[in-house]
Amino acid sequence: MKKVLLTLFPLVTVLLMVQGYHQAIYVAPDDAMQGYVFRIIYYHVPSASVAFLFFFISLIGSVGFLAFRRSSPNRAQIADAWALAGAEVGVVFCTVVLTTGPLWGRRAWGIWWTWDARLTTTLVLWLIYVSYLLLRRFAAGPQMQTLAAVLGIFGALDVPIVYMSNRWWRTQHPAPVFGGDQDSGMKDPTMVHALLWNMLAWFCWGLLVLFLRYQVERRHQEYAAIEAQEALEASA
Amino acid sequence: MDERNILDHQFVVAAYTVTWVIQLGYLAFLGVKWRSEKRNAERKSRPAR
Repeated sequence: MKKVLLTLFPLVTVLLMVQGYHQAIYVAPDDAMQGYVFRIIYYHVPSASVAFLFFFISLIGSVGFLAFRRSSPNRAQIADAWALAGAEVGVVFCTVVLTTGPLWGRRAWGIWWTWDARLTTTLVLWLIYVSYLLLRRFAAGPQMQTLAAVLGIFGALDVPIVYMSNRWWRTQHPAPVFGGDQDSGMKDPTMVHALLWNMLAWFCWGLLVLFLRYQVERRHQEYAAIEAQEALEASA
Repeated sequence: MDERNILDHQFVVAAYTVTWVIQLGYLAFLGVKWRSEKRNAERKSRPAR
């Protein structure tokens, strides 16, 4: 059953990707104001949504690690692996957001970047999680995971600020696609379908990559535990 | 196609290409990491001579 799922899920993801691309490029119409370049949104918005979701998974993992680190070390390691996987895959998706956004902005606004609330808070979010990954890469010692978990929790606090930024402040960034007021969002149902197909496709892709990253980290943890045990035995 | 449409098209191609380069690049990085962890595990499980 597990083997069938492991083969089927990547296949379904690839099919969803093809369908998402087809909807975005060939089915959805040009935007009345922005024209053809609006199609960048079909990759930009899903990437942002998936990044937020994975930073939330990282938050849960970080809280789990802090909660279990004394009572149940094995559970704490599992939570830590999810926290790392969520943060790393979240950074990948956030990088996509921060590169496709300026490409769209250059055509729609005539500028690559502006220091408005949505863009700045997104950049800060990316920098926080990059520092989280650097901490995990270069810090050593028993406190590293605890420090990373605390930073992961602080980083996740920026996610609702990014999400609400273009509701709380006047920004150059367009109004929210979902959960905005009556005038915001997409009006054409084919555009909404294209966006939803791409949301689903990138969500599945993200899950796939997240699961892979988690497995790699669990292997690394097992190897590190064996090495630590051997070092202990050698010194005894 | 007028000049505006050509430029729009180029920007869309650039955005989609950048997205796939980032995602597939990360997938490749994960593959390399997976292989190195696997090699480490095999080295550990092999009996010492």
